[in-house]
Amino acid sequence: MNNEAQLLPGTLDLLVLKAVSLGPLHGYGVLLRIQQISGEALFIEQGALYPALFRLVRQGLLKTEWDRSENNRRAKYYELTAKGRKRLREETDWWNRLSKAIGAVLSARPQES
Amino acid sequence: MSLIAYFQSLGVRFFRRARTDHELEQELGAHMQLHADRLERAGLNRAEAERRARIEFGSVERFKEECREQLGGNFLDTLIQDVRFSLRTLRKSPAFFLVAVITLALGIGATVAAFSVVNAVLLRPFGFSHSERLLWIYSKRPDNPRTNFSLPEYCDYRDQNSSFEGLAAIASFNPSLSDSGEPERVQGVRISANVFSILGLRPLIGRSLIAEDDKNGAEPVVLLSYGVWARRYAKNPDVIGRFINVNGESRRIVGVLPSSFALPNLDTEIVVPLQPESDPRRNARNSVNFLRMVGRLKPHITAQQAHAELDSIRQNLHRQYPDTYTGKIGLTIVPITEEIVANVRPVLLTIFCAAGAVLLIGCTNLAGISLSRAGARQRELALRTALGATRSRLARLLLVESAILAVIGGSLGLILEVSGKGALLRLMPADLPRIDSFAVDWKVFLFASAVTALATLACGLAPAWLLSRSDLRDAMVSSGRGSAGGGVQSRLRPVLVAGQIALALVLLANAGLLFRSFARLSSEQPGFDSSNVLTVRFSLPQVTYTDRAAIVQFYEKLQPRLAALPGIQNAALVSILPLAPKSISFIHFTRPDQPPFKPENTPSTNYRITTPDYFHAMGIPLLEGRHFTEEDNGDRLPVAIVSSVLAKNHFPDRSPIGQRVIIDDNDAQPRPVEIVGVVGPVKQANLETPAQPDMYLPLRQVHKDGVPFLRNSIYCVAKANPEAGGDAYNVSQLRAAMQNVDPGVAVGSVRPMTEVLAAALASRRFSLLLIGSFAGAALFLAAAGLYAVIAYGIQQRTREIGVRLALGATRGCILGMIFKEGALLLGAGVAAGLAIALLLARLVASQMYGISEYDPFSFVIVSLLLAMISLVACWIASRRTLNVDPVVALRCE
Repeated sequence: MNNEAQLLPGTLDLLVLKAVSLGPLHGYGVLLRIQQISGEALFIEQGALYPALFRLVRQGLLKTEWDRSENNRRAKYYELTAKGRKRLREETDWWNRLSKAIGAVLSARPQES
Repeated sequence: MSLIAYFQSLGVRFFRRARTDHELEQELGAHMQLHADRLERAGLNRAEAERRARIEFGSVERFKEECREQLGGNFLDTLIQDVRFSLRTLRKSPAFFLVAVITLALGIGATVAAFSVVNAVLLRPFGFSHSERLLWIYSKRPDNPRTNFSLPEYCDYRDQNSSFEGLAAIASFNPSLSDSGEPERVQGVRISANVFSILGLRPLIGRSLIAEDDKNGAEPVVLLSYGVWARRYAKNPDVIGRFINVNGESRRIVGVLPSSFALPNLDTEIVVPLQPESDPRRNARNSVNFLRMVGRLKPHITAQQAHAELDSIRQNLHRQYPDTYTGKIGLTIVPITEEIVANVRPVLLTIFCAAGAVLLIGCTNLAGISLSRAGARQRELALRTALGATRSRLARLLLVESAILAVIGGSLGLILEVSGKGALLRLMPADLPRIDSFAVDWKVFLFASAVTALATLACGLAPAWLLSRSDLRDAMVSSGRGSAGGGVQSRLRPVLVAGQIALALVLLANAGLLFRSFARLSSEQPGFDSSNVLTVRFSLPQVTYTDRAAIVQFYEKLQPRLAALPGIQNAALVSILPLAPKSISFIHFTRPDQPPFKPENTPSTNYRITTPDYFHAMGIPLLEGRHFTEEDNGDRLPVAIVSSVLAKNHFPDRSPIGQRVIIDDNDAQPRPVEIVGVVGPVKQANLETPAQPDMYLPLRQVHKDGVPFLRNSIYCVAKANPEAGGDAYNVSQLRAAMQNVDPGVAVGSVRPMTEVLAAALASRRFSLLLIGSFAGAALFLAAAGLYAVIAYGIQQRTREIGVRLALGATRGCILGMIFKEGALLLGAGVAAGLAIALLLARLVASQMYGISEYDPFSFVIVSLLLAMISLVACWIASRRTLNVDPVVALRCE
């Protein structure tokens, strides 16, 4: 568990949006997908996912529907709205710019300065 | 997040809470089951898998709570927190709390009171369906746009027009009512029976008039007003079918009218059918004009079209009967609602605006105070922000605080209004139409709530706005130096104060103009001496007083009895009292020695029938000739006394004494009378219009056509001796004397003449009193606002003042500096106020008397008054600086 990185504040929403953008998922599915695509590198407290999901629904970025899961359990499925898709694009751009900038700063070498 | 989504989630929170909780439970449960499924597949047994799943999920309750919060709930919880906190803050500053609540209570109370009057008089439905299509129709004469029609004329208009669904006719009369109880003189109307269907009026109980009632030989019936029903019959529904004597004629009561019945106004007490077809005057073209008409327009017909059609009917009549109709030069058509409220609308709206202005000034004051408080609290608020409160949350806190103040103030104002209703009603002039049904209804409540909400915003928005603009880091850092509040608030407050001063000046100017008008008007001489004059209105039974002889006989019996009363100096009878409501009776006359006038230019004069002592009792001076005597009776040549106005207008070339005029006071033909005296002018109709020509005729010579009018309404006026008895005693003596002569006499209201005079000023007194007190409140509030802003400025600058003093500035210098600031505010406020007041002056022009609405005196005086009071406020505020010790001042922070 020590190999798993803690999330930066504010990035959970971005990850959830991304995960859901690949197809409708229930809460547990979101968790699994994030772990799967991050190569198990990110740690998310399972319950903490839900306030984030509720927040995104309230902001109109996600919509929900009750359905049957693959192993036949009733579960609430989350799906990206048009607004959510737009937000995901914006946040991704923002994240890329930020990480690029931070990466540039951190990779600066003494002889270049 | 959009507002709609926000409210939706609020709705989710409040109305679907149980369901949401259930869903949440299911969703989280499903998560753990799915996780357990996965763990089970990985080889754990089911129980262990579920246990692990629960552990790895974390605290279910905590996440549930977080989810609920995300649903936007909490609003109520945080609101309660805000309310609690605000109450605590307010409790800690009781002075602010008191000032705020009282200011708001008075402001909201005044506005709501003014609104409830406006609501009762102007806004409440008129009780007629589609009242906008109901029109009053009058005959227009050169000297009076609103005169009556004769009966044949009414029938012609009724039968020939095609614009109206129906045309009804109404005549007022003053019958006496009697049954088993004491006879009583009432205000009655004779109405064509179609009026109820035309106006869409229903009786309270029983039936209204029907077409049969107007037929020849129909049973005599009567409808009672709500007032008479309550007064004489204690609202007993069994009165239907009973009989009552109206002017000595027995009539069956068929219905009771609702209290809103107002034809032609609310004074109407009984209604009898007009029976136009069986009236002896049905075809008498030259008979008396006593009817006004009311009609309902057909759909899609405009008032203009109807006017044009009626006018063409009038022109035809004019051609057919040139002699009879020459004086009737047109028609006056007035919407029924306008007729009732047109006169009072400007006055009421002025009062309403004045009340609103007071509230606005009050709110501005509170906003100013809240601004300083917000400034002083900036550090606290900055701390809250630093600890994670959002700005919207803080703004809400401030708004909650002003909402608490406004709600308390508003409730107090409403309580004030409800409990003060009686006092307000007493203040109001009796002739204010529709005011009887003045009530605090749902509209008033709605209005009060709206005003309270507005006051909340007005008081709370400025500090909240300030907060949203302020830099919190600066606030944290600078608060130590006491200049908290920053630029915005110190720039905003003076603007608010100047605005207050401007508003106060507008109100003061209005009050000043009203006061000057009132003073002018009450110093006008009415032409008579009202002191110690008692008046009694009465009427004589129709059956026994059929001719002049009977009335004269009554007078001859009454006169010695009155003369014998110790408290009475002079007593007399007169047909109509000066300044009595609706006391208009005039006749046309000509001078036989002059070429005849064109009929429409025939001069007219007020027309009164009196007994010899009338001029003595009323203190109307005899200027020339002689008084009437008891010898001016039916056997002698008819005589008349005229007023000096008539003498001057119509006998400019010679003394009128001994001259004859031909007066048109009967249905048969004009008759000559000889002028024997000239008396002083009297303001008969109201105090505003200059005295018109008057003509008095002796009672003993009244024409037989005048007998019914006289019988229906006579006044007894008596000059009392102030030393003997007093008014109450004299009144009972007067009444007793009349009942003694004939128990059938219906004695109406007894009023001292001073009261009649006061009533003529009542509506002006009312608006002056209200506007005056509003202006006073505005003046006080504006001065308080100025005081607060100056005092606050000084407090903020204590250190600067200390430095200046230490550097050698005299206290005079400092005072001058502060006064300059105050004077600047004052000057700006007064200039703006004068500009607004002059712009608005035209709106109050109709309420002016004897002065122009731009009366410079009023404007100068109120400006000076405002300036003086403001400078006093300035001075009190600046006295603090005189006590500043430079050392203390420098150290004070």
